[in-house]
Amino acid sequence: MKKLAIATIALVFATTGIAQADSVLVLNSDEASYSVISRSSRTEIARHPVGREPHHLIVTPDGKEVLIGSTVTNELLGLDIKTGERRRVVKDIIDPYHLGFSPDGKWFVTAAYRLDHVDIFHADGFRLAGRIFIDGLPSHLAFDKDSKTVFVTLQQSGRLAAFDLKTQALKWSVPIGTAPAGVVMLPDDKRLLVALTGEDGIVVVDPKNGAIQGNLQTGKGAHNFWPKGDGRHYFLSNRVEGTVSLLDTDQMKVVSNVRIPGGPDCMDITLDGKELWVTQRFLRRVAVVDIEQMKVVASIPVGKSPHGVFMLRPGSTAGQGPIRAVSTSGETR
Amino acid sequence: MRDLIDIWVGAQTWIFEALVSPLLFRFGLMAWYEPGFNAVEYVMLGAIQILVIAVGMRFFERRWPLEKPGRDDRLIGVDRVYTLLNKLGVVPLAIFIVTYPVVTHIELLIRAWGYAPPSLERLLPWLGDNALASFLVYFALYDFAAYWLHRAQHAFPWWWALHSLHHSQRRMTVWTDDRNHVVDDLLITLALVLFAQVVGVQPGDYVVILMVGRLVESWSHANVDVSFGRLGSRLLVGPRFHRLHHALSTPQERHIQDHNFAPVFPIWDILFGTAIYDERNRPTGVDDPTVDADNDRGWLAQQATVFWRFARAMIPKFRRATAL
Repeated sequence: MKKLAIATIALVFATTGIAQADSVLVLNSDEASYSVISRSSRTEIARHPVGREPHHLIVTPDGKEVLIGSTVTNELLGLDIKTGERRRVVKDIIDPYHLGFSPDGKWFVTAAYRLDHVDIFHADGFRLAGRIFIDGLPSHLAFDKDSKTVFVTLQQSGRLAAFDLKTQALKWSVPIGTAPAGVVMLPDDKRLLVALTGEDGIVVVDPKNGAIQGNLQTGKGAHNFWPKGDGRHYFLSNRVEGTVSLLDTDQMKVVSNVRIPGGPDCMDITLDGKELWVTQRFLRRVAVVDIEQMKVVASIPVGKSPHGVFMLRPGSTAGQGPIRAVSTSGETR
Repeated sequence: MRDLIDIWVGAQTWIFEALVSPLLFRFGLMAWYEPGFNAVEYVMLGAIQILVIAVGMRFFERRWPLEKPGRDDRLIGVDRVYTLLNKLGVVPLAIFIVTYPVVTHIELLIRAWGYAPPSLERLLPWLGDNALASFLVYFALYDFAAYWLHRAQHAFPWWWALHSLHHSQRRMTVWTDDRNHVVDDLLITLALVLFAQVVGVQPGDYVVILMVGRLVESWSHANVDVSFGRLGSRLLVGPRFHRLHHALSTPQERHIQDHNFAPVFPIWDILFGTAIYDERNRPTGVDDPTVDADNDRGWLAQQATVFWRFARAMIPKFRRATAL
């Protein structure tokens, strides 16, 4: 009977493209689809088509939409942040592998991982301000608080580069370690954390000049960050180690680890702050972690190579004040 | 179904994390982390294919053979080597290393022009919600390209110089499908990968298309007296249909091998007038003694002599030297 109910729900939403209020989106990067999961029943209730090879997603500055980057078809699919309903397709965004809006909402930046360039757009109308060709697999990006600079990790060349958003000029580019991926600016705006996927930890970088201020061992294949929401603690996925670490950025230490097999990657937190959802790329699942206990409480089947994950926000007060805008780089504002 | 997927990806993850991931990590090759994981799946699928061929298809060959066991059975051994090298990823890995820079360069060039593969789901929205239909459409497109490439293998003398190795086998069996020169494999792979990218075949679909397609092709080379029936043999290429393509040409049927080219779906031969359906059993092989001599060689000697044959066909100077 339960299966029948789930199938019925799935059929309804498959035809409308609308998700339930407590839905979670997971991008199946090796398929042309995204899964819609019911958080309460912890089952996949629908799977919808989306371009080709979707990897990451981002909330628009007005908090009304979440944009999915379809890398091979060079477009963004906009979904209603509350319902998951399809709103629009933004074309001519070339290879939008990783993407983000500057904190002031004026700039939209994409890292074209496959095509080796960084594109800086005026967020209003997605008008291209400048394309910066840069060797080395531009991977993930983050912004400074005053929206002047975007920081981009270059996975192949092992560098971190900073670009002026207004002029699109290179400010600096420094060697940072092997295969840097996730990058996040801490709330003090004075420290960048960069995850080194080819090593076993992260480095702390001065955003002014790229100088390495420190490092922290976390686990092999340190990859991506997600803020816990208190401005101090961050989650970090260690892909090769198969763990997620909880970091205290004040003391710069690992508070705890949780084992998540299958190449853990992107993360998001439920709106009540109780659960961390982590995609398990290899196992075609998304893991649910009880944050208080730092323990996996569920692992939900999805599509092939799940990458980005996102909680729909049914209670979003879009247009009535600031909300937490998120990207898979772990940027917060 | 989900249980099967869990077992499959569980095994794939275990192999990857135990054998491949430490090497990639150790040698700073983390940009190849995802492709490395997919390569493990490729090898696993190859092992499954070998199992299906060795156990399943061979059962039919033993039970209902078309050609009875005989002296030429010794010719089959080298085809088993081809199958192992191909299915277990040795030849594909070598081809990947050679073709990757070329494919990447072309892909980047095309995409730098702003080209994005057309999405069939946009033209036919219902495809987006029907995974099986979508897969079959892409499979058909892929097979269409493979049909024309196969015709090209027969049409161009330099390409035939390579492809004739495949046709030289007088004892055609389930192992014969992989009997190809590595340069022939390389050219076909290059063309089909580029085609798949231009058309927009999903990486996940591509693996399944390869898997299913190659199994059908192994079966179509089987030495069996089994038919799919009148309708079935027009939907899927079977052993009788493909055996005609390998038939030894005779003065009465000089161009018999210029028929039944389709790898998986006979519809292409039917549409383009190259299909022949008849029940006659014909011997297989080639009527050129220099090509037939491939049968007396092992894998390495075949690769060397066929490459020389290819070089002579490609370069006029070599052709003249041979004529003298």
